[in-house]
Amino acid sequence: MIEAKGLTKVYGEKTAVGGVSFTVQAGRVTGFLGPNGAGKSTTMRMIMGLDAPTSGSVTVNGQPFAQHKAPLREIGALLDAKAVHTSRTAYNHLLAMAATHSIPKSRVREVIEMTGLGDVAKKKVKGFSLGMGQRLGIAAALLGDPQTIILDEPVNGLDPEGVVWVRNLVKYLASEGRTVFLSSHLMSEMALTADHLIVIGRGRIIADAPIAEIITGKGNARTRVRTDQPERLMQLLAGTGVSVEVHERELLEVSGLDPRGIARTALDNQVMVYELTPLQASLEEAYMELTKDEVEYHSHITAGTPVPAQAGGK
Amino acid sequence: MSTATLDRKSIRNSVGPGPAFHRVLNSEFIKFRTLMSTVILLACTALVMVGFAALGAWGTGSFAQQVASDPEAAAAVAAQGGDLAVSIPTSGIVFAQLILGSLGVLLMSSEFTTGMARSTFAAVPKRMSPFLAKLIVVMVSAFVLTAVSTYIAGLVALPILGNYDLKLDLASSQSVKLLLVNSIYVAAVAAIGMALGTIVRNSAGGIMSLVGLFFVAPIAFQLIPGDFFKEASKYLPGNTISPLTAVEHVPETLEVWQAALVLGAWVVVPVALAMVLLKKRDV
Repeated sequence: MIEAKGLTKVYGEKTAVGGVSFTVQAGRVTGFLGPNGAGKSTTMRMIMGLDAPTSGSVTVNGQPFAQHKAPLREIGALLDAKAVHTSRTAYNHLLAMAATHSIPKSRVREVIEMTGLGDVAKKKVKGFSLGMGQRLGIAAALLGDPQTIILDEPVNGLDPEGVVWVRNLVKYLASEGRTVFLSSHLMSEMALTADHLIVIGRGRIIADAPIAEIITGKGNARTRVRTDQPERLMQLLAGTGVSVEVHERELLEVSGLDPRGIARTALDNQVMVYELTPLQASLEEAYMELTKDEVEYHSHITAGTPVPAQAGGK
Repeated sequence: MSTATLDRKSIRNSVGPGPAFHRVLNSEFIKFRTLMSTVILLACTALVMVGFAALGAWGTGSFAQQVASDPEAAAAVAAQGGDLAVSIPTSGIVFAQLILGSLGVLLMSSEFTTGMARSTFAAVPKRMSPFLAKLIVVMVSAFVLTAVSTYIAGLVALPILGNYDLKLDLASSQSVKLLLVNSIYVAAVAAIGMALGTIVRNSAGGIMSLVGLFFVAPIAFQLIPGDFFKEASKYLPGNTISPLTAVEHVPETLEVWQAALVLGAWVVVPVALAMVLLKKRDV
């Protein structure tokens, strides 16, 4: 289990991660979804104790990562497919990592076979494709047979067969009761892999819900309500599946009931409502909306100005 | 390939050995010897040591032969003939320190330039442990390599000197002293290199600082007018080796114990700074 509380990372003037709190439960695949630059990798590096949080804390299986007696056996991570000295062979890289925890050579060979690196294990990592690098990173993460597994963008650069393999692997690991936390910027990939989703954008958690809810958009439709009788309306709306948050003195955020239902309840009970605004219909939309602002390079196809065809030779 | 091949021995929760220091040391040694570049640099060092000793023996021998016709010079050479030959095995030490010092820089800076550091410190989050393990590997290998190649250099120089009727006793106390002191010195330079590599986290920058400290600064200090820099020059790390290896104390130079302290400080201060920075900074 991973627990983050108010985790914050500030680089100079830029807040990479702004006070995020979340819990990653064991026994299911938790996806960490967000556009590039949203703070996913920074959060994962803080979990692994590589970056010190500016404030807040994060624990793995109950204690900070660095406090564990056998860190590799507790938590395995693929943070970067290139966290390897590329002049070393894959086998020697894993061997050196295994040596820190007296993990036997047989286990090194096992993870090599498991990740399909058998043919290239004795070759220098320099010549590896991105997909092979990812497989090596996953092999390193599995080395200590850890209870918790963190994978940062594991399917980047993998071929379709590799993507399916990662998908099945993480599901299998979670089914064994392990904690699996993997990040991606692809909603579609998460939809197929994750059981639970934490969505991050601009360093803040936007959503933390089971995948099914996020895909259907149910339970996420929220409505902003302004009324001069907030307490009374809260009591009236209270019921199964409906949750109400008070934001300001006369401002409520209602989820689990559509605007029509809220208006009906208010009308029936003579409560005056002076604002009723539906907020983000679904997370997919919210995510796309967010990504649109965050992506660095937009592709534009410029119409007109066709390249003049050269008539004849010179 | 299939997930079914996954080791299914239940979920071991932190059962099994953790990163005790001897395991981290073993890991660092594996990392050290599985890089081709390390092996090449070590081989180059040995080659340079032996090559310079052979050249030194040849040069000293032919010099001795030339002066033999001049009775006065011959007498002078004969008076200190043994002393001329005794430093021949360590003729290449200037280059050995440069190569092994650079190796010290590279072993740490490459962790950061390649991203390996993330794997290293994720496996062993208490960062001092891999740092000290690497420091031991770097210093011990620099010491052993210098000592062994100095000895081999001596063995190669012996028959060459013999051709010119010059004698060299590799077991004499002065020979042994030179071998040990130079090996310790090179180990110290390698440690300084590793500290620089940790501080700057960049291979070119680290090697340039090392070269600046050991090769540029001594020359620059001599060129700057004024007594201050002449005096300060004695305290540069690269200038501690001559008082340390001198047969007798030369006036205007540091005493042996002073030179040893200065060299020690040049190791301790950068290493301590490197440790503090490594602990504080993000990987």
